[in-house]
Amino acid sequence: MILIAESINIMSKTLGPAMRERNPGPIQEMARAETEAGADYLDINIGPARKAGDELMQWMVETVQAVSDLPLSLDTTNPVAMEAGLKVCKSRALINSISLQPDRLESELHFVTKYNADMIGLLWGAEGMPRDAAERGMLTADLLYRASEAGIPNESIWIDPIASPVSVEINQVKAGFEFMSMLGEMAPDCKSTVGLSNISNGTPAELRPYLNRTYLAMLMKYGLYSAIVDVFDTELVSLARAGMPEILDLVHRMMDGEKPDLASLSPKELEYAKSVRVLMGEALYSHSWLDI
Amino acid sequence: MAFEVPKTAYSGKIKEVKLGKGDKAVTIGGESSYPFYLFEGEMPHPPRIAMEVFDTPPEDWPEAALEPFAGVTDDPVAWAKKCIDDYGAEMICLQLVSTDPNGLDRSADEAAAVVVKVAEAIDVPLIVWGTANHEKDTEVLRKVCELCEGKSLVVAPVEEGDHKRIGAAALAYHHTVAASTPIDINLAKQLNILLGNLGVPDDSLVMDPTVSGIGYGIEYCYSVMERDRMAALTQQDDKLQYPVICNVAKEVWKVKEVKVSEAEDPKMGDPRKRGILLEALSSMSLLLAGGDVLIMRHPEAIKLVREMIAELTAK
Repeated sequence: MILIAESINIMSKTLGPAMRERNPGPIQEMARAETEAGADYLDINIGPARKAGDELMQWMVETVQAVSDLPLSLDTTNPVAMEAGLKVCKSRALINSISLQPDRLESELHFVTKYNADMIGLLWGAEGMPRDAAERGMLTADLLYRASEAGIPNESIWIDPIASPVSVEINQVKAGFEFMSMLGEMAPDCKSTVGLSNISNGTPAELRPYLNRTYLAMLMKYGLYSAIVDVFDTELVSLARAGMPEILDLVHRMMDGEKPDLASLSPKELEYAKSVRVLMGEALYSHSWLDI
Repeated sequence: MAFEVPKTAYSGKIKEVKLGKGDKAVTIGGESSYPFYLFEGEMPHPPRIAMEVFDTPPEDWPEAALEPFAGVTDDPVAWAKKCIDDYGAEMICLQLVSTDPNGLDRSADEAAAVVVKVAEAIDVPLIVWGTANHEKDTEVLRKVCELCEGKSLVVAPVEEGDHKRIGAAALAYHHTVAASTPIDINLAKQLNILLGNLGVPDDSLVMDPTVSGIGYGIEYCYSVMERDRMAALTQQDDKLQYPVICNVAKEVWKVKEVKVSEAEDPKMGDPRKRGILLEALSSMSLLLAGGDVLIMRHPEAIKLVREMIAELTAK
């Protein structure tokens, strides 16, 4: 499992101001910490970056590369900023992300070949978020077709089925699983990724890791290739590195329909079992899902 | 092969809650199927209607809503009695409009004194509804709970931000609480859990999912209530197996489409008929989504809904 560290983000209360003030200290400190924590990629999220985004992204890439050799995932909706970052990346970069926005698709796909990069294919269509697994499948087919026309091989495409918060619409979470179970057959040489923490958006901060970890364990059943994660969650990293085989086994058996006797589970197993029930839509989510 | 009607497999049941006390107490809940699906399960207690009484003369009611209560709107006791004696109300909901900090801001003591008077004067169950201002409701409803000990009121709204203090008072003086959440099934479940943790017994809890009238997002309310019943009845979600109360009248009668006069907008037609129908149709929609108690205003709208309930529950 390839782990893309999510913490270098313009939304951060410390790193946002550092980015705007071009103060490298806090950013490099975070890049070092993420690298030491075992990340495979560092995501650099500068947001929409409407003003001087190109200058900011170039500076960010150079700032981070000065302290880490890891490949970078460049995260902005500003194509000019994206290109400026790609120009200065030393290793093969990951473009985060390209979706089927008709007005931008051509030019963004061109970056992939021009800069010999990989891309995250975000399943977001002209009409917004796909409603179910079938629409995700259609968007995947469209995206792969357009990418192939642009000369991009499937191996360079990391499909993101979009994690939507469990507290918003459980059917979207279920659709994500269903789609992931089909992706391997649809496009065997494609890769996959997911913005993991989205699943727990709206959940109290101290409880979010429980959902994030379980969601990751569930997606691993479908061979998830990578995920954008909080790399400082050591349990999550251990899970991703297959360091918790018993837990993975429990989660996957539950996904196959097994109903374990909750009274027989350890406290750790219970955390996962209760979260699986919520993420599968068997139990309705509430902030107290772990307590009941 | 003969055709077999597909049936929903139910695994849960809505809890029964008794409101009020004595001969006129009313039991709600107990459903073991979706609303009015009597071919699949039981609805042992038909939905009930509480008639609305304001604790201060209403300022913004259209003429059509005021007319049935002419002469009593300045006296909550007379108003409540009129609802019961003339319109057959089987429950009363006293809206403590006067306590609104952005309005009259009447004190907790004064407001509670009015509640006591009404509670003393009637024998049907009494619902007491605050203004959804956490601080003020805490003050007012705690006082109400204390002074009305033994009256088995329903106190509302009890929200996440004030559930501990109002819930504790309701618990101490044996009243039922209406757990109120903003059109969100997950938050509704969470508040029920929190009230349960506080010690509120299952037979003293009803849910207020927050409702609106036709044209103002009733679809969302409908979906949330529908989802609530699905979880309660088919997923054994015992934290959602509570009766649902819908405070609908005040939502219907405040909107432009009800208030505008025929002179101002002739194509809207007779305002009286319009208001009554919008209230009846909004209320009926909420019953179909799983409402157990409706708080309604116009006697004719109530009559229409009662007829529908009678028809839909006829054996």
